[in-house]
Amino acid sequence: MSTSYIVPNDLYYSKEHEWLRIEGDHVVIGITDYAQRSLHEIVFVELPNVGKKVRQMETIGTVESVKAVSEIYTPASGEIIEINEKLAKSPEIVNKDPYCEGWIAKLRPANLKEDLKKLMTAEEYEKYLKKIGEGK
Amino acid sequence: MSLRDNRTHLYDFHLKHGKLVLFAGFKMPVWYKGIIQEHLAVRNGVGIFDVSHMGRVQITGREAKDFLNYVTTNDVSELTPMSAQYSTMCNEQGGIKDDFVVSRLEEEKFFMVYNASNRAKNFKWLKEQSKNFDVKVEDVSDEIAMFAVQGPKAEQTLQKVSSEDLSKVGRFKCTWTKIAGEEGFASRTGYTGEDGFEVFIWNTPLSNPEKALKAWEAILEAGKEFAIEPCGLGARDTLRLEAGMCLYGNDIDEQTTPLEARISFVVKFHKKDFIGKEALLKQNEQGLKRKRVGLTVLERGIPRPRQEVFKNGQRIGEVTSGTFSPFLKKGIAMAYVSSEHAQEGTQVSIKIRDKHVKAEIVKLPFYQRRGSEKVILYGKEYKIEEAKSLIPELKV
Repeated sequence: MSTSYIVPNDLYYSKEHEWLRIEGDHVVIGITDYAQRSLHEIVFVELPNVGKKVRQMETIGTVESVKAVSEIYTPASGEIIEINEKLAKSPEIVNKDPYCEGWIAKLRPANLKEDLKKLMTAEEYEKYLKKIGEGK
Repeated sequence: MSLRDNRTHLYDFHLKHGKLVLFAGFKMPVWYKGIIQEHLAVRNGVGIFDVSHMGRVQITGREAKDFLNYVTTNDVSELTPMSAQYSTMCNEQGGIKDDFVVSRLEEEKFFMVYNASNRAKNFKWLKEQSKNFDVKVEDVSDEIAMFAVQGPKAEQTLQKVSSEDLSKVGRFKCTWTKIAGEEGFASRTGYTGEDGFEVFIWNTPLSNPEKALKAWEAILEAGKEFAIEPCGLGARDTLRLEAGMCLYGNDIDEQTTPLEARISFVVKFHKKDFIGKEALLKQNEQGLKRKRVGLTVLERGIPRPRQEVFKNGQRIGEVTSGTFSPFLKKGIAMAYVSSEHAQEGTQVSIKIRDKHVKAEIVKLPFYQRRGSEKVILYGKEYKIEEAKSLIPELKV
């Protein structure tokens, strides 16, 4: 099976395979192509509540396939200002389009500058994926 | 230290087409195209599973029947040659050592197929217990390849590559037959809740897997017109869960009795003696503290093993198997709950991480096919046409 994953250039990445995109005064988060392909066939997404205040790498929900449960860790601290309601009815969107239509939540960041230091650039994340792949 | 993982005859096929995982020491496919697609192929057409990792033993001798009636809980004297039964072996406390299917090949020859995860334990136990009987117990697992061909189109598929008339083989009956020209054996049994067969390609050592691959590919070819899919362990698990069947290690183990698991039809108290009889009789008289039940989730959420079950804020039990049902499109589970709360229709909650999710105790099986015209849904029988309006995924 092919092991090349889509890793867009303009995003930041966590070691737990979440991505973060900066959009003006807020950030959008989701799970990466690697994460959705590892889970395969996503059948359930548990989303956080709007208004919830979260800290970086805290669990904010879960993504589940038929067999597996995977936690979603927020790559940034802040307040949840919007969630992707479409995923409640159509969780498979995360498989089809993890970086756009399949976003998980939007946050008003509390400490973005510091948080970004703990995340990877696309280039670093690709190296990281390669390392994980070799470890198998 | 590096111990090589076990492989079945079809390892190269699995590696090429499937996503592999380690299961009971074997490198096995968890899926090829995806659990949901494979699951639905079996419910509406046909699927084929490599189950060669399972343990297979042959029990031969003058006292084969007596030995099996002592070591297993069901009654093998009910079996005529070329028929099979579901059964368990228990320890002295009545705890289940394993569950399996045993077939009678001849008057003094039986064939047992048990769980991969219990192969070493079972063989040792059978050998030990057989000492006082005139009987030979042989492990033939590595000499025989085994596939499950399951689904409403299983018979039609297999018939094309079989030398015998399979329509004459009833449920839990078996036949010797050539499969794609190879010497084989087929029994009308399975672990999916569908009609289907388990086929055995005889004299196929692991060192020489060609015959197994040839038969596998012939069945895949024969099933093409019914959109056959090779299926992995993922779909095997979701199919058996919907069918209300126990998985050893999850739903049953040495601390669980067949009575608690509600498979008491495999316990024949009329037999003179069998291992665990005394303990099971006692439990039967005293009544059960807990029972296996089916649960459907009434809100969003997927139950998983070891999550706790509550009734009015009080803990009443624990989930032992849980999944998203690809066919019924909702969370389903099996759990053990205290007997006073095991009544069907009881409203409970399952603690899924930090949330209590509403669920209801339902009659098992969640779903099973019954012959060519009926299905069972939540323990109730429906005509297929009727059931189609209740289950949008039911097509055939």
